[in-house]
Amino acid sequence: MTPGKWLGVLFLMPATLFVVVFFLSPVLLTAVFAFTSMSTATGVGEGGYLITPSTLHRLAERGMDRSTAESLGATTYLVNPETLSRARAAGVAAATLDELGQRHAGKSFDGRRGFERALKSLNNRPRSVRALKQAARHFETSVLNRTFGQREDLLAALAASGVRLSDEDRERLVDASYTGWTWTTDNLRRMFGTADTAQVLANTLIYVFVTLILFNTGFALVLAITTFYLPTTEAAVFRGIWFLPRITPPVLYVLLWKWFAWDTGFLSTVLGWFGVASRNWMLDTAFNAWVFVVLINGFVGASMGMIIFSSAIRAIPEPLFWASEVDGASRWQQVRRIILPQLRWPILFVTSYQTLSLLTSFEYILLATDGGPGSTTEVWSLAAYHTALNNYAGNLQYGYGAALALVLVIIGVVLSLLYLRIFNFDALVARPRIET
Amino acid sequence: MGNPRKFASTLAAAALTASLATGTAPAADMTITVWAGGSNASDVYRVDAIEMAADILAREAEIRGESINVTVDKKLYDGWDDFKQAVTLAAESGNAPHIVVTGHEDIAPWANAGIIRKIEDLIDMDAWPINDIFPNLIEISSYEGAVYGLPQDAESRPFFAWIPHMKAIGYSDAGIAALPERVAGGEYTLYDVLDDAKKMQDQGVVEPGYGFYPRVSNGPDYWQFYQSFGGEMQDAASGKLIYDQGAMTRFYQFFADAVAMGVTRKNHVGTPWDQWYAEVASGKAGLWHGGTWHYARYTGKEGLTGFFDKIQFTLIPAGDANGRPNTITHPLVYLVTNRGTDDDAFIAAELVKIASEPRINTLHAIKSAHLGIAKSQTSIELYSNDRWASEATERLLPSANAMPNNTDFGVYWTAMWKGLESAWTGQKSPEQAAADAAAELRNALGDRIVMR
Repeated sequence: MTPGKWLGVLFLMPATLFVVVFFLSPVLLTAVFAFTSMSTATGVGEGGYLITPSTLHRLAERGMDRSTAESLGATTYLVNPETLSRARAAGVAAATLDELGQRHAGKSFDGRRGFERALKSLNNRPRSVRALKQAARHFETSVLNRTFGQREDLLAALAASGVRLSDEDRERLVDASYTGWTWTTDNLRRMFGTADTAQVLANTLIYVFVTLILFNTGFALVLAITTFYLPTTEAAVFRGIWFLPRITPPVLYVLLWKWFAWDTGFLSTVLGWFGVASRNWMLDTAFNAWVFVVLINGFVGASMGMIIFSSAIRAIPEPLFWASEVDGASRWQQVRRIILPQLRWPILFVTSYQTLSLLTSFEYILLATDGGPGSTTEVWSLAAYHTALNNYAGNLQYGYGAALALVLVIIGVVLSLLYLRIFNFDALVARPRIET
Repeated sequence: MGNPRKFASTLAAAALTASLATGTAPAADMTITVWAGGSNASDVYRVDAIEMAADILAREAEIRGESINVTVDKKLYDGWDDFKQAVTLAAESGNAPHIVVTGHEDIAPWANAGIIRKIEDLIDMDAWPINDIFPNLIEISSYEGAVYGLPQDAESRPFFAWIPHMKAIGYSDAGIAALPERVAGGEYTLYDVLDDAKKMQDQGVVEPGYGFYPRVSNGPDYWQFYQSFGGEMQDAASGKLIYDQGAMTRFYQFFADAVAMGVTRKNHVGTPWDQWYAEVASGKAGLWHGGTWHYARYTGKEGLTGFFDKIQFTLIPAGDANGRPNTITHPLVYLVTNRGTDDDAFIAAELVKIASEPRINTLHAIKSAHLGIAKSQTSIELYSNDRWASEATERLLPSANAMPNNTDFGVYWTAMWKGLESAWTGQKSPEQAAADAAAELRNALGDRIVMR
């Protein structure tokens, strides 16, 4: 490559890095997580091994010998030469171990409390909680409720526990006690297996297309055209006002809507003068909730289209307007015959861009209705958020949430490719014919 | 090296034993971080207690000839979502706080993920004050039979009635005084609540929709109504969750009926909390349910005076003959995380133990209008002289149970709430909502939930 080309690559580096870190890697991770059982309970890193009474109960239901399950389910502390020497090697005080050996050799204790009480009754008892706990742990032979970092540790502990296990049972036990995440297609099965998915999909389509058609392109176009015919100063004022929703912090913006809509808010108060019973207008019915969701998002979304359309209208050569006026064209004819045809590409661009943007935006709905009433305004991206990052009982389902998000990623990529084709992107970036 | 963590703990144990054997005094300067979720200004003792404990620990160490200086780094989170996200994400990156104060339902997922340590590995469960804590609260702090945390407070979720409104529809003083017993005996049921609410509205005592004025957002409270209609959450023997479709349907039906009778608003869920508190504390609502900690809010920020003359409280009434009057306690627990070395964990656990001493815990209980965790708190004057704490403890706690500590409970809870909302707002019939929730749970949890 020539030095000039290297310079080009160098110039592209920051952008490339940005795309890789903030776009490609999240997309890849979403795709990977979508095929795992990852949740708060499994953690994101490598899991451990934990045998609980429930694990044993489940295995017994699936055919493990009940007496084996029962012996695995006991907490046992054994005092024998082996455990004594293990404790000695770990540095437990010799006097304690000697006395323990003399008084309790060969004894087995059911449960931690019994054994700790025996330790505490020694003359040479451990004199701190730490010493007590650290002495006791070497005598525990059972595997119940102990976390093992590695498979080998669990296998060694199982061997030391003295419980006889068939190879098959041992394998099943080790598998069932793994606490980490595993690869699975369950998320997809679950997604396609529930009626919720269809409901959320329908909500998403309503949200995206109604907001898009009425506001993000429709109303944006109205604003751009009307302000075009206003004197410059007034036009700037109006555009400034319509820009406010976008630059107001979302939390504050939605709070204003809530003050407007709720039981003791503006709307209820004013309507109260006419005898209308006060109510939470935003959450009163599913229809009301949709009206507010569309208005809240639409007022924000309209400003972007307004700016783009306004500049596009200004780019139309003015002689076209002068000529049409000489020909006696009305304002409406100017809009229909001059402005709209010239705005074809900007309209297409805003429509496509805003489809993608609406598909993934849920922050205003989260703040306003949080998907309510009764999940009627729960859109796809909000459902993914609720699943992956919001749970009253603390167990966040990263895997299932990622599977939901993956659907959005796929739709986004497919639509993007489609738009590139429609816009004929190759032609836009083609080498100019005049320059060499 | 096969297992660095094991090697490190062996080293630590060896060093400790060596220091004990030779009688040298270990000196430790450490910072212990403690985060509490769902806590506002009146809950400061959740973290301040740890600081007080650090002082006592340092004094005890000094007497033993050791030096332990613990600096406590405290943080309160107003809400739950942010807090839980912060803890789990911090834990994944190895920066979890040493001690967290959270709802007991986090024990199951966090224990499974290895984020928290079993507290029974770190403290002597026979020692005071642990042996003074109510056994059912210790059980609630356990998962799969192992004790993971210590209860930090207890509460319960009573039913409330506005006494002047009850009188207005014909209740005598004696009738109001007898209400808690009638509820406890199953004589006064949830449908009597709706009837009384209707009477209040019909007589113009309260406005339409204010007769029965439930909690405005999702919460453990709603499981109480499932239990009122005979629902059970977990099978004690197998540890599996239970979905009782009949009880769930009747529970959904109750809220649909409340809406149909006009005593509860269809769009009630989502009402702002501030508005709700102001209304129930000023007699705008007739009957409602809340939490024992509401006492602090009603008599504090909302300025309610003469609480006991204006508000009667009872268990949540039974719904029908299948169910029982009940209340759910949702204790917060102190949990020690896997952050740091074994030494850190022992110190953190010791701090938690000291913070659980009745006198220190009583500071939190009374300041935040929660209930105590230990038997002897009833003989501490700050506690026994507080009418609310002592009466609520006596009337509610004996009948209180808790939600199960089970990693799948969150999925179950989400489905329950979704069904309730759709039946409440009329999107689905109660039967349909309960059937859809069942289908959803079968799909999501398979044989990990028992269908009845």
